[in-house]
Amino acid sequence: MNCQDFEKLALDLACNSLLDAAARDQGLIHTEVCSRCAARLAEERALLARVRAVAAELAGEEPPARVDAALLAAFRAQTAATASSTVIPIPSRARHWSSWKLAAVAAGILLLISVMAIIWRSASSRMPRREERVVAPAPVNTPGHRAAPPDGRDQMAAEQPKNLPKRVRRRASVDSPDEVEVVTRFFPLREGEDLTTLDSLQVMRIELPGSAFGEVGLPVDPEMVNEPVKADVVLGQDGLARAIRFVR
Amino acid sequence: MVPSDAELLRLMLAGEEKAFTELYRRHKGFVYRFALLMSGQASVAEEVTQEVFLALLRNGHRYDPERGSLKAYLCGAARNQVLLLMEKERPYVQLVEESDEGEAVPIAQLISGDDPLGDCARNEANRLVRQAVLALPARYREVIVLCDFQEMSYAEAALALDCPVGTVNSRLHRGHALLLKKLRAAVRLDSAAPNAQGMRCFA
Repeated sequence: MNCQDFEKLALDLACNSLLDAAARDQGLIHTEVCSRCAARLAEERALLARVRAVAAELAGEEPPARVDAALLAAFRAQTAATASSTVIPIPSRARHWSSWKLAAVAAGILLLISVMAIIWRSASSRMPRREERVVAPAPVNTPGHRAAPPDGRDQMAAEQPKNLPKRVRRRASVDSPDEVEVVTRFFPLREGEDLTTLDSLQVMRIELPGSAFGEVGLPVDPEMVNEPVKADVVLGQDGLARAIRFVR
Repeated sequence: MVPSDAELLRLMLAGEEKAFTELYRRHKGFVYRFALLMSGQASVAEEVTQEVFLALLRNGHRYDPERGSLKAYLCGAARNQVLLLMEKERPYVQLVEESDEGEAVPIAQLISGDDPLGDCARNEANRLVRQAVLALPARYREVIVLCDFQEMSYAEAALALDCPVGTVNSRLHRGHALLLKKLRAAVRLDSAAPNAQGMRCFA
């Protein structure tokens, strides 16, 4: 064995992890005839001894109790959120939604929202009085999170005339007793994302073709494929759609 | 019979709190110490530990037991978090000397005031080792922390670091060479400047 070969073994020799007994013996024999490699081995052994002393000193180091408590709270919040979101069963296909489909639907919804926003804005500029008919999206009350504070626009909603065209009327957070809606659960649009971890969310009411039911794994009525269907889209602070539910 | 990590993870994802607390109890120390040795800061280690287990809550279903142990999976997540946090802090404090040649670094800056590593540094030799490890480039520091300090096998370390076993082996060799060089330099610096010891509290 030469010094170059020894160098490859030095670490394993130092920590006694060399399984090949013949190689180990050759390495040790080499240290008897080469003082440089003997010193190299001694230095490695000293280093490992120091490292193990530090490791022993740190053996008791653990995260403080506040981290334990925060994680336990997060676990409980997530479990509660999961339990509340399974009230309406969904077909198994929806649970295995591929990420590209999620991305496609999310992108489609965003595009639709953008187009609708442009249409509303241009309509508003032509008919200024219509502005007051647009009502703030209802805040989402997710577990563990506060709803967005009212900004006065709900007041406008309460004052709007009842004969408005349906397309510009937006529902406030509290429905009147004679306007009962049937809604599905919220279907997440981003796989694995926990909405309860987001700081603030908003819901926007939109209309989609009936075929959108199929995109989240719900059965599609062939007669409804091209019919408009109302839906509530949950938007994060970054404006990206996070979840959707359908409204009847 | 002691349930496996994979079984506990399955139960945890099904909402069983005991499974979560047991998984956390098993691995929290390893994750915390890895982050502590990598960053030298308790605050970073706390944040990393919290983020790693939050990610496990959210994305635990992505773990594949056939690819390796949960410990390696968590360690990989911790490593990513540490690098992310260190990258964020880079503009404020230069913690890592990126040169492979192991030039002298301002060692006194490497351990922050709220660092329990520093606070418990009563053994001078241990202090020098920790400082020298912190001064290593991250790619060498992580293999030394995993294989030497945490006694992880090369195969598990390779999984955690997402690199071949041969890379772990070569980085460990190179890391040891750099570490020895830094320790020699640190010993020389310390002996040349005895007053530097007065900067630390040994009470």
